[in-house]
Amino acid sequence: MTLPVEKTHAWVETTGGIVGVLLLVQFVTGVLLAFYYVPSVDHAYTTVSYLEKVVSSGAWVRSLHHYGSQWLSFFVFLHVIRLFLSRAYVANKIQWIVGILLLGFVMAAGGTGYSLPWDARAFFSTRIAEGLMAGLPLAGRMARLWLLGGSDISTITLSRFFALHVLVIPAFLIAVVVWRVFRSNIGDIFGPRHAIAGGVVFLLLALWCLKYRAPLGPSVVDVTADYLPRPGAQFLWLYQSLKYLPGGLGSLAGVALPGVVLSILVLLPWLKQQRLIGGSILGVGLVLVVMMTSASYISDRLDPKTSRQLSVQAAHEDVWRREPFKPAPVTLAASTTTASGGGPPVMYTKFCANCHGPNGEGTRQGRLNFPPLLDVSTKPHRTVNDIVEILKDPPAYGISPPMRSFSDKLTDEQMKEIGEWIVKLKR
Amino acid sequence: MMNETTSIDHEPSRRSFLKLIPLGLLAGAFASIGGAAFRFLRPKLSAATGSWLDVASVSELTGPQPLARKIVAEHITGWAITTEEHNVFVLPAKNNQVLSAICPHEGCEVAWDQNTSRFSCPCHESYFAADGARISGPAPRGLDPLPMRVQDGKLQVQYVAKEQATRA
Repeated sequence: MTLPVEKTHAWVETTGGIVGVLLLVQFVTGVLLAFYYVPSVDHAYTTVSYLEKVVSSGAWVRSLHHYGSQWLSFFVFLHVIRLFLSRAYVANKIQWIVGILLLGFVMAAGGTGYSLPWDARAFFSTRIAEGLMAGLPLAGRMARLWLLGGSDISTITLSRFFALHVLVIPAFLIAVVVWRVFRSNIGDIFGPRHAIAGGVVFLLLALWCLKYRAPLGPSVVDVTADYLPRPGAQFLWLYQSLKYLPGGLGSLAGVALPGVVLSILVLLPWLKQQRLIGGSILGVGLVLVVMMTSASYISDRLDPKTSRQLSVQAAHEDVWRREPFKPAPVTLAASTTTASGGGPPVMYTKFCANCHGPNGEGTRQGRLNFPPLLDVSTKPHRTVNDIVEILKDPPAYGISPPMRSFSDKLTDEQMKEIGEWIVKLKR
Repeated sequence: MMNETTSIDHEPSRRSFLKLIPLGLLAGAFASIGGAAFRFLRPKLSAATGSWLDVASVSELTGPQPLARKIVAEHITGWAITTEEHNVFVLPAKNNQVLSAICPHEGCEVAWDQNTSRFSCPCHESYFAADGARISGPAPRGLDPLPMRVQDGKLQVQYVAKEQATRA
């Protein structure tokens, strides 16, 4: 009669094997994606589109990586709960600490990975990461600047998320896994039950990914004001919680609290009242995650306006998938085609390029559209003198903020130099 | 009693068979990713556009010397459209034949040396005569002529990729 109980117990223990297999899938698919992906704001979206539309098995590999990260988060969480219930924090401290660290690093990998495709949802997720950092008490300002690598989201920010996602966090993950493997009996880790459970979960994931593509929103340039971004399933709890929390508390709930909670859990083997502390943290966490995730699904389905917009977005994505891939031009330094007419004046680069683009091509920042200056001379009232006057007094030409007067920053001579350069810009 | 003995008899072979199941599952999983990885990484040959590129007006091509010109070719490789400049030499003395500047040895770009009246490769010292014929050095053959035509008084060529040019 004791045999069946023991057997279920043994199968419950395979969460470790499942986590191991899913981690391996993330590493393999991640390396594959890196063979095409370019972490720069002008090519990230193009290369991800290329992966989705042109590369053989590209959509499947990206889907494995995308949904694999969500499944991995789920199974790591399950693994931690299983370890807690079997009192691993007393019996096998290393296993316990490794479980908690895995949970932290897997979530961090998911958070940084969402920015990489540089589609609309990536842009919003980066904005939210920025906001969460900025809202931290005391160190908020510095944390935001360090995360962005500058005073605003830029291609440097994308490089930082990329470096964290593919170098820093995987290095920690490998270190943690290696530590676990070398400090325990190999037979415990690579037992046949672990392999079967891992293999079955992989099979299910592989089939799931054949059916469901990883989402890719519109590019940052094409996003419309009514676009509704949604995070991956493993972050829905945070996304939904942020709706209920007043501004400043969001940072505490999204960054500080998880950090404190994970630290306490790591230190659990050395604390008193282990069952009480660990149990309440995991219990409250589980309830919160389940409730908030369900609330987010339900509120999206129930609100007719939201569900309509979400289905419109899904339809747009289908249309986009059927369109053929369009290659993007790459400018090589040696090419003469770009070097016509000389570069922008220094003062243009200093004061104008931030919004109107380094070469007058215009930019889009969130919902603000900064107009391109190319071919501007073909429009009425845009001579060099007009541009100088606009730089002094934009409202006089009917131009509204955020364009402002630069009388206090630029001399007449510098304005004239900028104007003379701008009228020569051609598409 | 009967059952017990049979199960003991079959134990070793059944055990070893059961052990194969997890191995097979994992092997299948990684074989499927491995197969996908092979197709995923397989290089895409860039589509030769085959378009005719302007070299120069025929009227300006005179004299006994090879004339250095540049052509601008557009390549589509994977997701990227790149615009590259390539050096070519026009031979007015040889009915405006156009030679690629790419050395057929290892693909460096040759230069015309007026003093010695020959092309020289900066990499491994291959030398070519004014008509592109090989004089000396490791190059297997002379400089490659490019497909050319004259359209509306303009000399035009088709760019031929380096890998094709270096093939002996």
